[in-house]
Order: sequence, then structure tokens, then C-alpha cells
Amino acid sequence: MNQIFTVTSLMNIAAFGLIIIGLLAIFTQRNIFKLIIGLNLADVGVNIFLVNAGYIDGGTAPIFTDGIRSAQIMTDPVPQALVLTAIVIGFGITALALGLTIRLFEKYHTLDVKEMRGLKW
Amino acid sequence: MVGPVLSPILLILVPLSAAFLIVLLSSVLKQHGPVLAFLALAAEVVMAISIYPAAAAAPIEVVIAGVRAPVGINLIADPLSMLMVLVVVISALLVSLYSFSYIRDEQKSRYSALFLLLVTGAVGMLLTGDIFNLFVFFEILCISSYILVAYHRGGLGLEASIKYLILGSVGSLFILISIGMIYGALGTLNMAHIGANIDLLPEGTRLAAAAFFLVGLGVEAAVFPLNSWLPDAHASAPSSISAVLSGFVIEVALIVMIRVAGSVFQITQVFPVLMVVGVITLLIGEFAANRQPTLKRMLAYSSIGQIGLILFALSVGTPDASSGALLQVINHAAAKSVLFLVAGYYIMRTGSGRIEDYAGLGRKMPVASFLFVLAFLSLIGVPPLLGFFSKFSIITSALSAGTVPSLFMAGLVLVGTVVEVVYFIRVMQVLYSSRQQSVSIESGIPAGALVSILLFSLAFAAGAAILTPLTQAAGSAAAVLF
Repeated sequence: MNQIFTVTSLMNIAAFGLIIIGLLAIFTQRNIFKLIIGLNLADVGVNIFLVNAGYIDGGTAPIFTDGIRSAQIMTDPVPQALVLTAIVIGFGITALALGLTIRLFEKYHTLDVKEMRGLKW
Repeated sequence: MVGPVLSPILLILVPLSAAFLIVLLSSVLKQHGPVLAFLALAAEVVMAISIYPAAAAAPIEVVIAGVRAPVGINLIADPLSMLMVLVVVISALLVSLYSFSYIRDEQKSRYSALFLLLVTGAVGMLLTGDIFNLFVFFEILCISSYILVAYHRGGLGLEASIKYLILGSVGSLFILISIGMIYGALGTLNMAHIGANIDLLPEGTRLAAAAFFLVGLGVEAAVFPLNSWLPDAHASAPSSISAVLSGFVIEVALIVMIRVAGSVFQITQVFPVLMVVGVITLLIGEFAANRQPTLKRMLAYSSIGQIGLILFALSVGTPDASSGALLQVINHAAAKSVLFLVAGYYIMRTGSGRIEDYAGLGRKMPVASFLFVLAFLSLIGVPPLLGFFSKFSIITSALSAGTVPSLFMAGLVLVGTVVEVVYFIRVMQVLYSSRQQSVSIESGIPAGALVSILLFSLAFAAGAAILTPLTQAAGSAAAVLF
């Protein structure tokens, strides 16, 4: 029982839950804002999953301080660095998507992708 | 080795710093941003050519910041990555020459900076030896192409861009999930190191991680069924951007995808599946192209067909077929660029995207239209153009692989070619019809743009003359894959 509900496995369940919710939103919603929110949810899920890949139960932050001299009980810093990069990229994409949304709204006066002209969604 | 070789890291540094310089100096440079971009790309071509012989002799590894792999991030310049880098930088240089006259708005610097970032992303994806670094360059490539698709800010471009953005971002999320799975299990991000230790992964994790990675890159490579964004994005982008998106961006994604599948995950057992996917992509692309009323959508669907053909050839899994695939990459980069670049001026001069409005253009823009026809013929595979040799070697090596499914699929590839011929004839009938053009064409194509189109055409028209070195280069590049 305790084996299943470790911090790592719970975090992984939360991560994939978020990813699935996000993907569902992307593939079912028609409002551009909701698509972008779905993208963000999935993004957060992936980030949690990544941090989790380097997590050690009961580990400390990977910084050498007075009390802590051993790297054995530290969490892995690499996934944290990766997530930092991933967050920045996710932020950039969200900003770009919102910018495009403003322009699209100016052109079509709607946020519903089905009502936009031209392309098939 | 001949003399001291330039470090391949310059291939990434030069376009990246030029892109930032153009933005920083935009008030000083005014309208001359594109000149700086052109010079940076010219330097890029010179460097790539001078690095290539050394990389072909022995792969060059660049250690970054003095930390060796697997801990540090490294770049690997081998025959395959350098061949593709050459395709990328030469195409980019010629397209930037074309853009001088084609992009006519006030903010040329913005266009040039984004264009250089796109090149940075593509070159970085090819050279990097680190799987997370690959993701970062992939994002640089994707984000700059999202913006460039919407560059003219027309409704269609914006729509295509956001559709491309959403599907592309889902793809990148999948790549990240795969990276997380690999790192969680193996604790390394270096591709060679992962490849060496891949047996430590449980079979299930390995296949799942590989599947996430292939699907993620497959979105950008426009492999069926992940390609619904491509016809919109490639048809709505400015024609110069369509040329690079179709000419090398999807090919770079595809080559990296096959390379990761083969040498990192080592899942050659799924290659028959990829072969079937390739043929389906090819047939869907060609049949859809045949039904399009607008020229650029037709060309975009034809790119899907070509990517299917290249995927098919790569997943036959023999060095001969892969070398044919790389020849086809070169042929497609040159021919599809010519088609899109000429189409750009057809659209600009007639003000219409529909093929039926191009009646008689073959006589009004004779040189460009002649090259347009030549490029189409090379895509179909008519001798003595380069396309004939690439397609021929793909088909013969698929046949010599000898299994019944590969025979059957080689037959389907020929069906795809027949469809290509059908829509080629449809376009030709309009271009050279005697019907009068309702809009009068006041001018042809500016000299700079025409020179760029001519140089692209040289690659497939004279490709047969330099077939031996080309095949050698493709062969040694293919040897890296398997």
C-alpha cells in the first residue's frame, strides 16, 4: 500500500492526469483560448513529470550548505534545469499564441475556430 | 586532414548572433537588415563547405565549455549531419537572395532575424549530440517558423500559424515526455551514451519513449496522420518561407527522427511499420495534391507525398535505399524551392492563387516557367534530371531488398508517380494555354530572384553531371544511419 502511494508515483499520476486533461481540451474545444489553456495544462503536466524524474524521496535541494555536505541525499539538479528551460519555452509559445489570437480576433471577430474562414480544423 | 578546420560550433553561432545583431542594430541598419543576413548565410555556406571534407573523413566532436560528454553537451559533425547542413545553408542563402525583392514590407529586419533563427534551429538540430539540446533547437526552429507563416498577417496565415503552433507544441510536449522517461531510467541525455546503454531500459519503457519521440518529431516531419497542419501552413506562408519549410525543414525533422530511431532507440523492428506509414503518406499526399485548385496547396500536398517517399526509402533500412533517400532530399530541396519561388511571383503578378488564373503565363514569364517545368519534371523523376536517379535508386534498392511487402510498396510508389504526372499535366495545360490572361502582366521576375531560382535549378539539372560525388556523399552519410 505504501509502495504505491510514494510521492513519486502520486506526482506521476498528477502529471499524466494534467497531460490527458490538456490534450483532451486541445482535441475537443473550439475556442482558441481554451485550446491555449489546454496546451498550458499539458505543459505543466510534462514539467511535473520532468522534475519528478530526478526526485529522491526526502532529498534536499541540490545546494551545498553548512548542514549538507553529501550529494547522496540531494535531488538531481539536471531535470530542474531542463524544466526551467521548458517553462521559458512554454511561456514564449503561450505569448506568441495569445498574440496570434489578438490578430485573429481583429480579423474575424470570433474566437471559435470553426467559424473562421478558409481552413479546415 | 587539410589544415586547421573551423569548429562546427560556428555554424550555429554565426546565424544566431547575426539574428540578434540585426534586431539590436535595426535602427542603424534600417532597410539593410537582409544584407547582413545574406552575408551571414554566405559565411555559413563557406564554413560548411570547408568543414565538410574533414567531417566526411572522420566525425568531428566539439566539446562545449570544456566538459566532456556524457556530462557536458557536445556537437557531432559527421557526414550525415554535414551533408544536411550543406543542404540547409545553401537553400537558405539562395532563398535570402530571392527575399531581397520578394519581401517588400517596411520591417525587413524582422523577417531576416527570424529567418536566421530558423536556420540556427535546423543546423543545431542536425549537429547536436544531446537529446535535450535537440529539443531546444527544435523549439527555435518551430517558433520561428510559426511566426514566419503568419508573417503577412493575412487571415489565412494567422489561422494556419495558430493551427501549426498548437499541433507543433503537442509534438514538442511528446518529445519532452520521452526525454523525461529516458532521463528517469538512464540518467543521461547524451545521444551516444543513451544508445550505448539502451539495453538497460525495460522493453516497454524503451518502446514507449521511442513512440513519444517519433510522434513528436513526426508532427514536424508531417508524417501521416500528423500532417493536417502542413497544407495550410505551407500554402499560407510567404512563398520564400514555403520554399524553406518544404525544402528543408520537414526533411531535417524526418532525418533526425530516423536517426534517433536507428541509433538512439535502436528500434529497427518498427521500420516495416514506418515503411507502410511512408507509403500511405506518399499516396495521400499525391492524391490530395491532384485535387487542389490552388497552386501552393498543390505543392504543399506534393511535399507530403515526397516526405512519404523519403520516409519509405529510409525505412527500407539498407544503405543503398538510404543513400537514394538522401539524393531525393537534395533533389526535393532544390526542385520544391524552385516551384514555390516561381509560384510566389505567379501569385504576385496575377494576384490570384488559383491555377486556372495562370493561363498563358508560360509565355509571359518564359525563363521562370521553363525552370518551373524542369523542377516539376525532376520531382516526377524524368531523366536526365537528378530526380530520376534518386527515384530510380530508391525503387531498385527496395526491389533488391526482395521481400514481398517491399515489392508491393515499390509498386505503390510508382502509382504515386503516375498521379504526379497527372497533376503536372493539368498545370502545364493552363500555363501554356493560348487563352488570354485577363490581368495584364506588367513585369516578369526581378533579376536577383531569377538568379536564385536559376542556381536552385542547377542543383537538379546538373545534378546528373556530378552524380558520382553526390552519390558518394549520400552513401557515406547513409552509412552513419545504419
